Amino acid sequence: MVGMGMPAYGIQSMLKEGHKHLSGLDEAVLKNIDACKQLSQITRTSLGPNGMNKMVINHLDKLFITNDAATIVNELEVQHPAAKILVLAGKAQQEEIGDGANLCVSFAGELLQNAEELIRMGLHPSEIIIGYAKAINKTIQVLEELVEAGSDTMDVRDTNQVISRMKAAVASKQFGLEDILCCLIAQACIQVCPKNPANFNVDNVRVTKLLGGGLHDSKIVRGMVLKSDAVGSIKRIEKAKVAVFAGGVDTSATETKGTVLIHSAEQLENYARTEEAKVEQLIKAVAESGAKVIVSGAAVGEMALHFCERYKLMVLKISSKFELRRFCRTTGAVALLKLSPPNPDDLGYVDSISVEEIGGVRVTIARNEEGGNSVSTVVLRGSTDSILDDLERAVDDGVNTYKAMCRDSRIVPGAAATEIELAIRLKEFSLKETGLDQYAISKFAESFEMVPKTLAENAGLNAMEIISSLYAEHASGNARVGIDLEEGTCKDVSTNSIWDLYITKFFALKYAADAVCTVLRVDQIIMAKPAGGPKRDAPAGMDED
Amino acid sequence: MATMLQPQIILLKEGTDTSQGKPQLLSNINACTAVADVVRSTLGPRGMDKLIHDEKGNTTISNDGATIMKLLDIIHPAAKILVDIAKSQDSEVGDGTTTVVLLAAEFLKEAKPFIEDGVHPQNLIRSYRTAGHLAIEKVKELAVSIEGKSLEEKKSLLANCAATSLSSKLIGGEKDFFASMVVDAVLAIGNDDRLNMIGIKKVPGGNMRDSFLVNGVAFKKTFSYAGFEQQPKKFVNPKILLLNIELELKSEKENAEIRLSDPSQYQSIVDAEWNIIYDKLDKCVKSGAKIILSRLAIGDLATQYFADRDVFCAGRVTEEDLHRVAAATGGTIQTTVNNVIDEVLGSCEIFEEKQVGNERFNIFSGCPSGQTATIVLRGGADQFIEEAERSLHDAIMIVRRAVKNSTVVAGGGAIDMEISRYLRQHARTIAGKSQLFINSYAKALEIIPRQLCDNAGFDATDVLNKLRQKHALPSGEGALYGVDINTGGIADSFANFVWEPSVVKINAINAATEAACLILSVDETVKNPKSESAQGDAAASAMGRGRGGAAFRGRGRGMRRR
Repeated sequence: MVGMGMPAYGIQSMLKEGHKHLSGLDEAVLKNIDACKQLSQITRTSLGPNGMNKMVINHLDKLFITNDAATIVNELEVQHPAAKILVLAGKAQQEEIGDGANLCVSFAGELLQNAEELIRMGLHPSEIIIGYAKAINKTIQVLEELVEAGSDTMDVRDTNQVISRMKAAVASKQFGLEDILCCLIAQACIQVCPKNPANFNVDNVRVTKLLGGGLHDSKIVRGMVLKSDAVGSIKRIEKAKVAVFAGGVDTSATETKGTVLIHSAEQLENYARTEEAKVEQLIKAVAESGAKVIVSGAAVGEMALHFCERYKLMVLKISSKFELRRFCRTTGAVALLKLSPPNPDDLGYVDSISVEEIGGVRVTIARNEEGGNSVSTVVLRGSTDSILDDLERAVDDGVNTYKAMCRDSRIVPGAAATEIELAIRLKEFSLKETGLDQYAISKFAESFEMVPKTLAENAGLNAMEIISSLYAEHASGNARVGIDLEEGTCKDVSTNSIWDLYITKFFALKYAADAVCTVLRVDQIIMAKPAGGPKRDAPAGMDED
Repeated sequence: MATMLQPQIILLKEGTDTSQGKPQLLSNINACTAVADVVRSTLGPRGMDKLIHDEKGNTTISNDGATIMKLLDIIHPAAKILVDIAKSQDSEVGDGTTTVVLLAAEFLKEAKPFIEDGVHPQNLIRSYRTAGHLAIEKVKELAVSIEGKSLEEKKSLLANCAATSLSSKLIGGEKDFFASMVVDAVLAIGNDDRLNMIGIKKVPGGNMRDSFLVNGVAFKKTFSYAGFEQQPKKFVNPKILLLNIELELKSEKENAEIRLSDPSQYQSIVDAEWNIIYDKLDKCVKSGAKIILSRLAIGDLATQYFADRDVFCAGRVTEEDLHRVAAATGGTIQTTVNNVIDEVLGSCEIFEEKQVGNERFNIFSGCPSGQTATIVLRGGADQFIEEAERSLHDAIMIVRRAVKNSTVVAGGGAIDMEISRYLRQHARTIAGKSQLFINSYAKALEIIPRQLCDNAGFDATDVLNKLRQKHALPSGEGALYGVDINTGGIADSFANFVWEPSVVKINAINAATEAACLILSVDETVKNPKSESAQGDAAASAMGRGRGGAAFRGRGRGMRRR
C-alpha cells in the first residue's frame, strides 16, 4: 500500500505489493520510540498507590477496571511491533515475579524518551545502547548495595514480616485496603507454605469471588470453596472420609456402540433388575469402605444418586479437572478413574464439608483445619464483578510477592527512595566515563526520576518540588528518604515501613533495559501485508444486522 | 490506508476507541446520573412504577430497582457498574436496590464539581472511603437488636420490617396482610433456610386478599390421563411416595434389541413387558403409599391402575416442587420401585385437591418437618401478579436477613439523616480538603429523605430543614425522626414501626461507596473492537453450557408451567 502511486524503487521493488517498509532513524527508530512512549503513557498514570484505574473493554466485550499494568497491556491488543516488545517485557516480569510490570513498562518508556533526545542530539543508537548496557550493569551493582542490612534472612511464616514486605505491592493495587488484604493474603500463604519455602506453589492459594457484602466480610478458609451445591439432599457432614471418582458415578457403559440382544421373556424382565443390583452393589461397597462423601468428576447418574442417598453418602460434583485435582490435594484423596470400591489408602479426609449460603449463592465449603492443609482459599466479597476482579488481581500480586520473597527475601527502600539513590549514584558514575556513552548513562540516571515524578503527579502533588527535595535529602546522606504520599512530604521510608522486594526491582529494571536496547537496535521494519485483509469486516457487519 | 503521506503510528488495533482524562471521568459521572434518574422516582411508598417493554414484546411493570436495572440493557461501561451493585444488593440482602443506585449516583454527583475544579480523584476516593467506613460504624451503633424476644414479639417486629419493604411496592395497600404471611412463611422454614423452600405460585383471578399461605406444599394439578377422576382427592395422614421414574409402558433400554427364532415366543415377550409395568405398579401400591408423585410421566395404564386401588397419583411434577414435597414430608425421591422401605415414604396430615381460581391445586398441609411454605398469590392481571411476586421476594429476603442478623434501624430516611449529621459533625474536626469531601458525602446521604418527599409530592426542602433541626438537637432525641409519608411532615419513624434491617443499610452504603470510588478511579477507557470469531465462541460456549446444565431442564419445566 505504501508502494501505491509511487514508482517502485530499491527494496520496494523486491517485495510483493502491500508490504510496508520503514527504515532509517526518522522512519524506524524514532517512530518505534514514539509508539513505545504512547504505550508507557497509558500505563504510567496507573503507577503507584494513587494510580488511576483504566477501563478496558476487550474484544469479547468484557469490562476490566484495573490499574494492574500486566492486565492492561494484555488486554490492549497492542499492534505496533516495537510497542509489543515492551508488552513482552511487561509480561516477562509478570511471569517471573508477578508484580512490578508497571515499573517495567513505564521505565522502559522513559528510557526510550530520553534516548530520543540523545538521537536528536546526534548520538548514534549503538552508542546509546552501549551506554545503557553499562548503566544497567552499574545499576544492578548499586541496587545490591542498597539492600537493607539484615533483610536477607526472614521467617516466611511470621505474619508481620510477610506483611511488611507485601504491603507496598498490594497498596499499589488497592490503596487504602492494603491492611485488610495483606493480612488475608499473608495468612493464606503462610497456611499453605510447605516445609521448604522455596517450593511454595502459587496455585495453592485459591481465590473465590462472591458478589455482595464488602471487603470487610472477606475471609480465609482452610480448604476449598466450591461454587456449587451438593448434588444430593445431604448438605453437611463432619469428620468424614472422602472417595474421589474422576470418571463419574454412574452405571458403566461401553464406549463402543453395542446392542443388548434379548432372547427370551425372562431375560427382558431381569434386564433392568440386574443393572440396578450392580449399581447398588458398587455404592454399597464404597459406603462400606468407610467413605461418607463421594466426589464425582463427571455426571452422577440418577440411579447411583438414589443409592447414595439410601446409604447416606454426601455427593459432590466437581466438573473442572483442575478443581478436582486441587480437591484431591486438599483432602489427600487419590482420584479413582472407575467407580469401584476404593482402597483405604485412596480415601481422603475432611474436617467438615457443608453447603452454606453466602450472598445469595450456595457454596460448598470443604474445611481441613489440621494436617494436609495444602490449599487455602481467600473468599473475596465485593459489590461488583469488576471490583472483585481487581481485588483478585491484587491478591494474585500479593501471593506472587510471597513466592518471590520465599526465593529471595532481600528488600530495598520503597516509595521512590531507591530510584533517587540510583539516579545520584549513576550520575556520579557517568562523569567518570570517557566516551560518548557518558551521555547515555547520565540520561539513564535521569530516567529514574520518572518514578518519583509519576508518584507525585498521580497523587496530585508538585513533582518538581518533591524531586528536588528528595535529591537534597539523598545528597546529605539520607539514602532511605522517599515520598510520603499521604502527607505529600519527603520522609524516611522506614518510619512507614514501605519496602520493595529487591528481586522485583531487579527484574523490572533489567527487563526494561533489555527491551529498550532491543527497540533501539532496530533500524528497519518490514511488515508483510496482513493475510485476508478485507474479509475481516464483512461478517462483523452482518452480525450487527 | 492513510499511511502513505504521513505515516502515523498505529499503536492499537484499528477500530479501538480510547478516551481519557478529566472529560472521560465527567462523562462517566453523567452516565451514572442519567441511569439513576430512571429509577429515582420509584423510591419509597409513594414511588411510581415503571413499565418496560422489551424487544421480545414482554411487558413488565415494576418498582424493584434491580429488576428495572436488569431490563434496561445498559451498555455504557461505567453505568454498568450501577447495574452490578443493584444486583449485588439484590443477592446479598434482596431489597434496597433503588437506594443503592441512588446513593452511588448522588456520591458521584457531589464529586463532580470537585473534579471540575481540578481535585485529584484519589483524594476524593480516600475521603469517601473513610466516610463510608464511619457511616457503617454509625449504623451498627444505632441499630436496635431484636434478639431475645419471645416468638410472638419477634413476629410482630419482623412483620414491621416486611411491611416497610412492602409499603413501597405495588401491593403496599395490603402490606399488613402480606407482611404477616411472609413472616409466617420465613419462620416456617426454620433455621436451615433455603430460599427455594418457599414456593410462590401465581394464579390469575380473584383479588389480592384471596392469596393464602400453605404450611406445606402446593402445586398446580399436573396433566392427567383418563381414570384420574376416579381417584380420591382427599386423604388424611396419607403416606407419600416420590418417584423419579416413568410409569408407562415403554422399552426398558434404548440399546436393547429382541431377536426371536421362535415366533410362538412373541406373545411371551409382550406379556413380559406388561409384567414389568404391572410389577412396578404393584410395588408402588404395596409400599403402602396413598399418594404417588413422579417427576416423569405417569401413563394412562398406571393412572387407571391406581384409581382402581384408591391411590392418588400425579406425574410430571416439576423438580422444584418435588424437592419441596420431599423436604416437607420427610420422604426421599426414589429412582427405583424395588425395595421401597417405609423410611423413604413421606407423610402429611392432610392432602387435598382444591379449586383455586380456575385451576386445580394439589395441597399438602400439616407436614411433619414443616420446612417449607408456599404462598399462593391471587390477583388481576399477569403483570400485577408478577410484580407482586417480586415484591414478596424482596420482603421474604428482608425478613430472612432480619432473622439472621436481628438488628433493625429506623427507616423513612431517619437513619440517613442521622448519619449525615454525624458525618458533618465529624468533618468539622478534620483539617484540610478532606473536610469538604466528607461534607459532600454527608450531603449525598440526604438524597434518601429528599427523594421520599419528592416522590410523595411534598416540599423536600421544607421537610429536610425540619429533619435537620430535629437531628441537630443536642439531646439526641430527634435521631429517630424521618419523613412522615402520610402527613407530609416529620415523625418518629421508629415509633411508627417504619423499620429496616440494619444489614440492608450497611450493604447499601458499602456497595454505593465502593462503586462511586471505582468510577472515580477510572481515567481512561479503551474499547477494543469486537472480534468476530470470539463472538462465535462466546455464543457457542453459552449454548454448550445451556445444553448441559439447568437451562435444559428449565426449558422443559417452563413450558408446562405456563
